[in-house]
Amino acid sequence: MSRWWPERRRVPRAAPAPYRVLVVDDDVDMAAFLGRLLAQEGMRVETATNGEMGLASVAASPPDLVLLDVMMPGANGFEVCRRLKSDELTALIPVVLVTSLEDSESRVRGIEAGADDFLSKPVKREELIARVKTLRRLHETRKELESRRLAAEVQRKEAIRKAFSRYISPRLADRIVDAAGEHGDPFQGRAQRTSLVALFADLRGFTRLTEKNEVGEVVDMLNEYFGILTDAAYQHDGTIFNMAGDSLLVGFNVPFPQPDAAERAWRTALEMVGRFAPVAAAWQRRHGLDLGVGVGICTGEAIIGNVGSEHYASYTIIGNPVNTAARLMQMASAGEVLVCGPVYERIRHLLGGHRVSERGDVALRGRTEPIPVFAVQALEAAAA
Amino acid sequence: MTEPKPTVTVAKDLADLIPVFFKNRHKELESLRGALAAADFEQLRHLGHRMKGVGTSYGFATISEIGKRIEDAAHKSERAPIDACIGEYADYLAKVQVVYE
Repeated sequence: MSRWWPERRRVPRAAPAPYRVLVVDDDVDMAAFLGRLLAQEGMRVETATNGEMGLASVAASPPDLVLLDVMMPGANGFEVCRRLKSDELTALIPVVLVTSLEDSESRVRGIEAGADDFLSKPVKREELIARVKTLRRLHETRKELESRRLAAEVQRKEAIRKAFSRYISPRLADRIVDAAGEHGDPFQGRAQRTSLVALFADLRGFTRLTEKNEVGEVVDMLNEYFGILTDAAYQHDGTIFNMAGDSLLVGFNVPFPQPDAAERAWRTALEMVGRFAPVAAAWQRRHGLDLGVGVGICTGEAIIGNVGSEHYASYTIIGNPVNTAARLMQMASAGEVLVCGPVYERIRHLLGGHRVSERGDVALRGRTEPIPVFAVQALEAAAA
Repeated sequence: MTEPKPTVTVAKDLADLIPVFFKNRHKELESLRGALAAADFEQLRHLGHRMKGVGTSYGFATISEIGKRIEDAAHKSERAPIDACIGEYADYLAKVQVVYE
C-alpha cells in the first residue's frame, strides 16, 4: 500500500555572512596576493595600504580577522596591533602579523603587541590558509561561547525578574535586575531623598473578617482584595513597596519620575475603591460583613532605598509623607480617600462629581504641626 | 651560445596579477637606482626587504634572493654589492619567462 506524505517545503536558509579579512600591507602586490588566496577560500577581503588606513577601516567596519604587515611607513604593524588590542571594541579581532621568517625579534615584539599568530614572508599558500582557517575556527568558537554566555545571562535575569515580580512591582523588579551588573548585588545602591506621593490603602472591617471566617477562606478573600488593589496600582504605574496584613503601600514618582504623580495616585485610589465595591457587596450578602477600602494619600520628601540588615532588607520609602498617608488611611472610612493639602491642590480639577469635605487642620500622631486634610467620597463618582 | 632564459612557474590563479606585478618590479628597479644614486641606504634596505617578501610568494625566488642581498648590503651601507644586485635584477627582469600551471 502506498502512503501519501505531504510534500515538505524547503525553507531557504539565509546564507551565512562571509568571513571578512582586512589585509594591511603597503606593498600592493603582496596585498593582492594575500587577497587572492583568501578570496579563493570564500572569504571577503578588504585591503589598506598603511596602518592608519587599516585602523580607520577596522573602526568603520570591524573585520573578522586582520592580516598585518610589520614594516610599513607611519604606524607600523606593531603599533597598529597594539592599538587594536588596547581597544575593547577591537581587542577580540584576531591579528596575524606578517613577518620575515628569520626575524625572531619581530615575533617577540609582536607577541608583546598582542598578535594572535604570525605568518612568514615569503608567504606559503598552504600555511596562510591553514593559519587563517584555524583562527577562524577559534574566533567562531569564541563568538559562539560569548553568545551562549549572553543568552544564559538574559535567561538568568528573566528568571530573577519573574521571581521578583510576584513580590514587588514589575517595574521595580525590572529596575533592580537591570541595575545589577554581571556579578553585581541587585540590592546595592545608595538610598536617596526624593519627592514622592505615598498612597496607603487598607480594608475597613478586616478584623471582623478574620474573626468570622476560616483561615483558608480569609486567605482567598484577601487574595481577591489584593488582586484588585495591585492591579489598580500597576494600571497607573505605581510601585508597591509594602504589603502587610490588609494594607498596601504604593509610591508614585519613585523610582521613576512621574510629573503627574498626585493625579496617578488619585486615579489609583478611585479604581481601588470602585473595583472593590461590587466584591464588598457580594461578601456582604454571603458573609454579612460590612467591608470597604479606605485610602490615605500624601506627598513630600522621603527617603527611598534598601533598609534592613545583611539577612533581611526591604527596598522601601520612609519619611513624613509615608507616615502621614498611613495616618490618613487609618482615619478614612470605607470608600473614603483622605488626602493632605498639597495633594488636594494637585487633584482638585479631577474631583468633579465627588463630595469633598474639608477636615481643616488635623493634628496627626507623630507630626508637630497640624496639616490640612480633605476627605473625598470616592464611591459616589464610581457609582455615577 | 646564448644563455638559457630563466623560467618561473606561476600558479594559474595568479596569472591576472602578474602583469601588474612586473610593472611594479620595473618601478622598483628605478627606485633602487634612484636610492643608490642618493646613497639612501634606508630606502634601499626597505626596497630590498620588500623584494625579499614578495618575490617567492609569487614564485620568483630569484627576486627574493636579490632583495635579501640588497637589504644586507644596505645595512652595512655598501654601494658596490648593491650596484651589482641592481644590474642583476635588471637583467633578470628583462629575461625571465613565466609559465602558468
